[in-house]
Amino acid sequence: MTGTVSALKFSFALMLLLIASSRFFAPVTFAGVGEVETASALADAEGALVSAYQAVLKAEEAGANVSGLLARLNEAGGFLAQARMAYRLGYFDEAASFADSSRNIGGEVQDAALELKDAAVSEGWQSTMLTMVASVVGVAVIAIGSLWTWHFLKRRYGGGGFPRSESAS
Amino acid sequence: MRVEEYRDWFMVGSLALMLAAATPTLALFVHLPSGSESFSELWLLGPGHKAEGYPFNVTVNGDYRVYVGVGNRLGYSAYYRVYVKFRNQTQPLPVDSNSTPSPLPPLYEFDFFVRDGEVWESLLNFRVLGVERSNDSMTVNSLSINGVAFGVNSTSLWDAEKNGFYYQLFFELWLYNMTSQGFQYHSRHVRMWLNVTA
Repeated sequence: MTGTVSALKFSFALMLLLIASSRFFAPVTFAGVGEVETASALADAEGALVSAYQAVLKAEEAGANVSGLLARLNEAGGFLAQARMAYRLGYFDEAASFADSSRNIGGEVQDAALELKDAAVSEGWQSTMLTMVASVVGVAVIAIGSLWTWHFLKRRYGGGGFPRSESAS
Repeated sequence: MRVEEYRDWFMVGSLALMLAAATPTLALFVHLPSGSESFSELWLLGPGHKAEGYPFNVTVNGDYRVYVGVGNRLGYSAYYRVYVKFRNQTQPLPVDSNSTPSPLPPLYEFDFFVRDGEVWESLLNFRVLGVERSNDSMTVNSLSINGVAFGVNSTSLWDAEKNGFYYQLFFELWLYNMTSQGFQYHSRHVRMWLNVTA
């Protein structure tokens, strides 16, 4: 029984000591986490911007008009540059805020680029099919027309050659 | 004259027409090289938006401005970064011939995207905030670029030939490389001399 009471006293004293000491350790800990968190936010923002850029490039390759998306990407790029500069200068709160803004725009642009790419691929496929069908029909019409014309000419003029004009004959 | 004598001409004409009809489809699958060179442009213009009147004699707390621009002729939309750096006469510049950027840390930077065939341009305001001068040397303590203050602590010795304390503000162009998944120095930089006076 006495041992249990002693253990409780010791635990209580240890708890008080930890609470008291946390006042001194907390600011240091929070400052460290702030820098690390900001670095992580910056890395996230850079990753989001690169992903968005890659999505925009794919949409562009698919034939989409990406002018609007690039304008939004430039906004995100501006925020990212501000974030990186603020980080280098030690303004971690501002850097994290700018990085978040950049990452959010990057995410929006990536989603929009994927939609644009899908629409462009669909339109491109339709356009390709239309072009191919038109070409095949055109080639077939010319081939059949040529054969028909040739046979017609052969039947009409094959024996005695082309008719000559009155003056020539 | 018999019609059979024209058979070859008739066939050539028919094939030419068929080729013309098939050209739109062939163009979908056959891509001829454009033959044009791909490159990027980097330029610096003075406050009048011309290649003249660049800031040269710079006083402490004086406001100066230049325009920095980039043109994209790479054949695709590019992701660029421009680093603004500051050096004295002895600190290293980038070496474009072997794609080596200056090891000096960047002060200001721009991140931007440019479509193929288009250009990007931005105004850059700068101001020398504080200097310390002795007889034969001057130290620029801090510099403000577009309203952001940067500590530079760069010391220049008196140039007896040109009568001044000379520094350079220079701009490096970097390009995002999809293959290496990172920015690489794009072997282009522009710079301007500054004669800082207290």
